[in-house]
Amino acid sequence: MKQLHERAHELLEQKAVSVIIGYGEGTEGRVRPVFIRTLEAVRLLVWDDRCRVNLAVYLNKPEIRKFGFPIAVVSTPATVRTIVQLIAEHQLSIGDVVVLVRENDTVRALIQKEDLEQYARNNPVIFPPFVIEEIELLKKMSIEERFTYWQEELAKCFKCYACRAACPLCYCEKCITDVNQPQWVCVAPHPVGVFEWHINRAMHLAGRCIECGSCTIACPVGIPIALLTIEATRVVKEEFAFTPGIDCNAPSALSTFRVDDKETFIR
Amino acid sequence: MARIGVFVCHCGENIAATVDCEKVAKACAQLPGVAYSIDYKYMCSDPGQNLIREAIKEKNLTGVVVAACSPRMHEPTFRRACAEAGLNPYLCEMANIREHCSWVHPKSEETTLKAIDIVKTIIAKVRKNQPLYPIKVPVTKTALVIGGGIAGIQAALDIANAGHRVILVEKEPSIGGHMAQLSETFPTLDCSQCILTPRMVEVAQHPSITLYTYAEVESLTGFIGNFVARIRKKAKSIDEKLCTGCGECVNACPIKKIPSEFNMGLGTRPAIYIPFPQAVPNKPVIDRSRCTYFRTGKCRFCESKCPTKAIRFDQNDEVINVQVGAVVVATGFTVLESTFFPEYGYGQYKDVVTGLQFERILSASGPTLGEVRRPSDGAIPKKVVFITCAGSRDPAKGIEYCSKICCMYTAKHAMLYKHKVHDGQAYVFYMDIRATGKGYDEFVRRAIEEDHVKYIRGRVSRVYERNGKIVVCGADTLLGAEPVEIEADMVVLATAGVANPGAEELAQALHISYDRHRFFTEAHPKLRPVETNTAGIFLAGACQSPKDIPESVGQASATASKVVALFSRDELTREPIVAVVNRCAPPLYSTCVGCFMCQTACPYSAIEREELRTRDGTLVKTVARVNPGLCQGCGTCVAFCRSKSIDLQGYSNEQMYAEVVELFAE
Amino acid sequence: MKEFEPKIVAFVCNWCTYAGADLTGTSRIHYAPNVRVVRFPCTGRIDYNLIIKAFERGADGVIVSGCHPNDCHYTSGNFHARRRWIVFRTLLEYIGIDPRRIIFSWVSAAEGAKWADLVNKAVREIRELGPAKEFINMKQWYEFEKALGGFRG
Repeated sequence: MKQLHERAHELLEQKAVSVIIGYGEGTEGRVRPVFIRTLEAVRLLVWDDRCRVNLAVYLNKPEIRKFGFPIAVVSTPATVRTIVQLIAEHQLSIGDVVVLVRENDTVRALIQKEDLEQYARNNPVIFPPFVIEEIELLKKMSIEERFTYWQEELAKCFKCYACRAACPLCYCEKCITDVNQPQWVCVAPHPVGVFEWHINRAMHLAGRCIECGSCTIACPVGIPIALLTIEATRVVKEEFAFTPGIDCNAPSALSTFRVDDKETFIR
Repeated sequence: MARIGVFVCHCGENIAATVDCEKVAKACAQLPGVAYSIDYKYMCSDPGQNLIREAIKEKNLTGVVVAACSPRMHEPTFRRACAEAGLNPYLCEMANIREHCSWVHPKSEETTLKAIDIVKTIIAKVRKNQPLYPIKVPVTKTALVIGGGIAGIQAALDIANAGHRVILVEKEPSIGGHMAQLSETFPTLDCSQCILTPRMVEVAQHPSITLYTYAEVESLTGFIGNFVARIRKKAKSIDEKLCTGCGECVNACPIKKIPSEFNMGLGTRPAIYIPFPQAVPNKPVIDRSRCTYFRTGKCRFCESKCPTKAIRFDQNDEVINVQVGAVVVATGFTVLESTFFPEYGYGQYKDVVTGLQFERILSASGPTLGEVRRPSDGAIPKKVVFITCAGSRDPAKGIEYCSKICCMYTAKHAMLYKHKVHDGQAYVFYMDIRATGKGYDEFVRRAIEEDHVKYIRGRVSRVYERNGKIVVCGADTLLGAEPVEIEADMVVLATAGVANPGAEELAQALHISYDRHRFFTEAHPKLRPVETNTAGIFLAGACQSPKDIPESVGQASATASKVVALFSRDELTREPIVAVVNRCAPPLYSTCVGCFMCQTACPYSAIEREELRTRDGTLVKTVARVNPGLCQGCGTCVAFCRSKSIDLQGYSNEQMYAEVVELFAE
Repeated sequence: MKEFEPKIVAFVCNWCTYAGADLTGTSRIHYAPNVRVVRFPCTGRIDYNLIIKAFERGADGVIVSGCHPNDCHYTSGNFHARRRWIVFRTLLEYIGIDPRRIIFSWVSAAEGAKWADLVNKAVREIRELGPAKEFINMKQWYEFEKALGGFRG
């Protein structure tokens, strides 16, 4: 933590960044995001095992962007992958972000493409045990059981779009849910609207989701929605040998193709 | 509210026999937005079309649905009829109740209901149709021809003779290409250079052709009718205006032992050289990588001997931008070298040569002045083995395709050899003899029957040296795969024709596609064989696949006719079925967030980056922009766009959505 | 009781499958009348959302068909579509929707008989699967919204 404070102090003092996005002490023993703009505020930064939420999401917010780049972000492995993916999707440029990561008990600042990519490759996102359990559970189910499972889970959704707000890769200025000519996604939180939203979310994140789990953490009714995008990422990985978030120049997996992609299901 | 007219065609009995057309028309009359609905015996007939024209005027229609045959059949007919009556043609759509209904189902209530369903969906679509206007783009009537081989020469001459300007770019110091290297040509055995060089001279003297040799195209931007090509004219190190081509400098050059590219390494050339005596332009260039002056800073012998003081050591590469309306790619091919083949000694035996090298040995202008002498010791070979399909049709070597020209030139080689070495014996190992052109099979028969070339059907397993002879081990599969061993004096490999080195880079610079063998791909293998997928860029000759001379010339002329047809108009009119990135009010300006996923999805490289700026010039964001000159309207980008910021005119999101949901409307 | 007749929507490309279905007509090959064709310029244009909409509104099955690989009129639209379908199909299955309800095929402009065969088989198979029960729940909500006048389209 001391190292982080020193690093943050240095960055702000040299005016190397306009703001540092990090974790601060919240209520009830939880951490919350803090946006450090002054030297005095640096002491608010904390960094411990509770700091897991993906702060890269704030890089897309106009309220933060107005401070101007470069911006520093206190990052987990998932955050780094997110930033790499955002660069690949032309939402950020190299040099826009100073990525602060922990490596062997020291704080490192990653800026260059090679450093970001190398860190991203060496530090995969690790699922917490309960996620792995849930994935295994779904794998064992019959298709009917899976249908019931998702019917029950999705019935809870009231379409607050917290998952969308929390996802660092949902950065469209006008989401498909806001398009009403035609109305691709029904507004109401009934089964039609809910199904349309979640299938679109999963399709939109296929080959892009870096599996940080922010959507599930954000869901106020506890739907394990990350499972959908994790599944989408799994199929992209298995079928197209593509992992998002490790290559700053990778074209999107879904808007490219290989002539020999599998087509066993096509008559 | 829309005022749509529905016109149900009986197509004589073709539709009416199984579909109750009157009922369809009546049912449609009840649908929202339908102002007029009628059935008629033949809608495509003059009175039928008149019915539509009259109704548009009288009922003030805002859309037309013709329920008849396939739109692939008569859509243009009815759209034209609508336009004649003053309705935007893109407000007219066809409902296919013949091919997709009356012809494939029996007469029944159900068939009529299906027909109503089909018309209903198209009415729903037309409600969302927007008037569209043809896209007009101007045409620069200058063609760029890349490659000065026979295909490029033919294309350039044809286009120039039709009255258009041509810029011909050749990367070597002379035009002529591979055809200039050939001895005689099959199946007539006329001298290659004798028929080629007049054409080369014609190119050089043609007032409409600008020739850039020793130059390469670096990039191409723009779209059909409006390309800008960047051409690098490599420094020749001579002043072409002063140079008379006397050749004093060539004689003066002390460096003489550089393998000659023109002679496929069998002869030598100096550092300042004219590639071959009939070169066009017949002026030397300095090969800076081999020139003593450029390597050590001393020499300048050529300069001292030049009577017109034309040598320019300080010349720089010149990069020029030219505006062209069409591009012909005629960059040709090359052949695999013998080093590619481990079984034939990886090129370590001097007397194992490629077909192109043998051409030089046969050629009167070649290193042996037309006498057949082998490279190792200059002896006249008495036994020559020709091996066809060296690499070709060999999946293990990664070349599955047939190189097409080898059967014929091998027969020619064997024949010419026999004509020059009367007591020699020629053997040809072959897999199949493919001699399918005019007079081709007769030519091969002549080689076998009159010149007694021994054809052995079988593959060669190994070639090795033994006691000064080259031993060729093979099998004769027509004699029960009996092993054959020939002690030859010389071996000629008909190595596979392959894409030029650099073909991939050129394709990428031009934004055209290429196959896995790096040959450029045509827009359609059958119906658009000389066009590429990028409108305005055409292919000629062996850069598309190995071809012989008549085929290359034929393709070049076909290409030229495409270019001339394009240049016959001052403006191009294109169907407005193109994708468009939306624009909206500030502060968004566009809902596009610039992820550029569409860019990799586009098969035509039609998606560009556009900077959106406020009136005072502040950058708002960078978004996608579809170049309507390049877009072909497939809509792949539309389905990818997460924020639905791109839409396809004519098949818009609203139209397709309306069509689908209408199917289930009660 | 009358046998269940499935409603099937076919999303096809203009250049191959639509033309192939035209050929079925010209060849007068009869097939089941349950299918309704929606014409797209290319399979690359087919939005998975339209497939979803078709199911929600009452389709029991969907056919998606275009040019064979390497035959795409636009060179690669079908390759892009294929990738999209691989992911879409997996996701539907994951969420519990029977993937057999979407039938993918390549039908060229010369394969009139294949089109008839494809439709007949699709009808047979989906008739066996029965109505799309996964979406029945949704259909009633769709009716509800329509009653409110909330659906655009």
